[in-house]
Amino acid sequence: MSFRARMMIPLLVVFVAAIGYPLISSFVLSLTNYRITRRDETKFVAFAQYQDVLQDHAYWSALAVTGTFIVFAVVLELSIGLMIALALQNQRRFRDFSRSFLLSPMFVTPIAVGLMFRFLLNQQLGAIPAILEKVGITYDFFGPGRAIYSMVVIDVWQWTPFMVLLLLAGLESLSKQPFEAAKVDGASPFYTFRRVTVPMLAPILTVAVLIRSLDASKVFEYVYAITRGGPGTETQTIQYFTYQTGIQFFRLGKASAMSYLLLIMVISLVILLFKRIEKARLVS
Amino acid sequence: MRKIGARKLVTAMIAVGILVLASACSSSSPNASTAGNTEISADTAGTVRVLMEGVPDTDIVKGLLAEFNAKYPKIDVQIEPIAYDQIRDKIVASFQATDPTYDMAIIDNPWMGDFAKAGFLKPLDDLIASTANYDYNDFSAPLRAIGEVDGKTYGVPFYNYGLGLIYRTDLLSAAGIAEPTTLDALAAAAKSLNSAARAGIAMQPQRGYKAFEEWGNYLFAAGGSIYGSDGLVHLNTPEAKKALNTYIAMYKSSAPKNSLNWAFDEALRSVSSDKSAMMVSYNWMLPTLNKKDGPAGALAGKFKLATMPGGKQVLGSWDWAIPANSKVSDAAWAFISWITSKEGEAARVSAGGAPARTGVLTDPAVSNTGGGAEYYATVGKILSNAEPLCKGANCDEMINAVGTELNAAIAGLKSVDSALAAAEEQANKIQSE
Repeated sequence: MSFRARMMIPLLVVFVAAIGYPLISSFVLSLTNYRITRRDETKFVAFAQYQDVLQDHAYWSALAVTGTFIVFAVVLELSIGLMIALALQNQRRFRDFSRSFLLSPMFVTPIAVGLMFRFLLNQQLGAIPAILEKVGITYDFFGPGRAIYSMVVIDVWQWTPFMVLLLLAGLESLSKQPFEAAKVDGASPFYTFRRVTVPMLAPILTVAVLIRSLDASKVFEYVYAITRGGPGTETQTIQYFTYQTGIQFFRLGKASAMSYLLLIMVISLVILLFKRIEKARLVS
Repeated sequence: MRKIGARKLVTAMIAVGILVLASACSSSSPNASTAGNTEISADTAGTVRVLMEGVPDTDIVKGLLAEFNAKYPKIDVQIEPIAYDQIRDKIVASFQATDPTYDMAIIDNPWMGDFAKAGFLKPLDDLIASTANYDYNDFSAPLRAIGEVDGKTYGVPFYNYGLGLIYRTDLLSAAGIAEPTTLDALAAAAKSLNSAARAGIAMQPQRGYKAFEEWGNYLFAAGGSIYGSDGLVHLNTPEAKKALNTYIAMYKSSAPKNSLNWAFDEALRSVSSDKSAMMVSYNWMLPTLNKKDGPAGALAGKFKLATMPGGKQVLGSWDWAIPANSKVSDAAWAFISWITSKEGEAARVSAGGAPARTGVLTDPAVSNTGGGAEYYATVGKILSNAEPLCKGANCDEMINAVGTELNAAIAGLKSVDSALAAAEEQANKIQSE
């Protein structure tokens, strides 16, 4: 066995133990009608659970809610994060203080953030509605048609700093020559940003969007702490729905099928994305 | 005199010996099925680990452990307080383990059917029947029914969380409003008390359990019921429609603005900070609100508890249970039977615990130190006519399904008719699986 192969063995052992075994056992579970409180009635049902999930309107609704959340949250985090990263890159004084201050939300545990905003946005008890009322605004943060967007704002508050961290590191690693050349040629800041910064930052942007999107797809704590999936099912994300099905309602077989279908969808999207990136890189 | 044969004499002596032996054994074994005359031995030993919700009743039980150990010095009860949402997953994992983490459990009423049918819990009928002076029938009948599944008893009532109407006596009095005895009167009272500074009633329409738990009281007040005589869920009824229409009207006109996601914590804070005049909540919130150094501050003493209009309300309860895989079930039963005995109950309720036995409600020694005679009289009325949201299996799922439809109707996303029809259909489908 080559040296390279032997160096891979510890990683493979950890992978099999920590990821491989749970993946395989949950797949096996998804082929049964296993329920925690009816273990004696467990039987092999092949892909019946998958069929049941694909025909479940609630599953597709949860996917749509999650998709909406991801798109809005990531676009906002990318835009705001990039602006903050550019500002921090050019900052000369109090750099350490401002960076620590701006990055602090991401170190708060998400369930605490959820509980905090639950009361912060409470009409009677919260500071934000009180301030808004002083200027004559009353807003139902968790009402129909609005709750999911309030969750987006909470996610943006907490995870934009993560985007800032990635993008700032990317900006600071870029070569200086193209910027100096653009300056010498008389390019405006906006032109430099559009034609130099963004193309050079593209790989970092891609990774940042991918990581943040995968993370946003797991949103659970805000839903659990604030709305429990309501109004109706407007904030019932796929993770919350899967949790309810498997853990709260004991239907582990069905929940495993839900999770596997989501895994297949996510992996497919990631593969498509990397193929496009590779294609664009080859073309350029 | 006729001579008794030697053989017959020996047989008789053996029989007497067996009786004496059996009697001696039964007096030291807590599991013997004698007719309620077994005293649990003070030598019973074991470490009993239990997970309990971090609520005042748990603190009260912890406070009584020293007294328990005075009688049972060899039993070490280890209580681990934890948030409600974490209890069920941990105890379910323990129930299935070869070496359980917990030797005793408290079971919330929606879980009882599923846990009993899954074989997670030990039937307690023999233990109850054999324990001296236990008087199981002293527990409130609706509470006893919660612990009984398929004719066997799996849980003994710990404390009740029956709901009632909690209102500000000073505000009702100032407005000249009598305590509401009908659903329409409740709606009218809430509307009269509603102002810019203070909502008429703090409501809890959060999707799922909270919406159903609160609305269930409105359903009963409208003369409706959750289950029909056929044992099926019937929510697509005129009473349910009236209840939901009234609930929605009250939410729009008399509840705090923008409170669609409100649950227990928000309603309590609203009422205790003088931002709402009433709420439908757990009966034991009354002593908490009226406590001098409690959350209501200067408002302490101004709250009163009433039964829901119509006299029937939603009931919840926690039960003590012994896991089927517990290795110290004797010690666990020693504790359970002690804490739920008449004396244990009196001590717990005197310290502020929510009652489960009916006898304690009229015990002057308890009412003088606990929440007061008037409070216990109302609790007695609540417990005498109360019903849980769900019976049987899959209760968590059923409650969530109904609560989702109710929340959708309250939010205006569905009509009352379609929400109730969907709730009924889903509830019956879930409970038939």
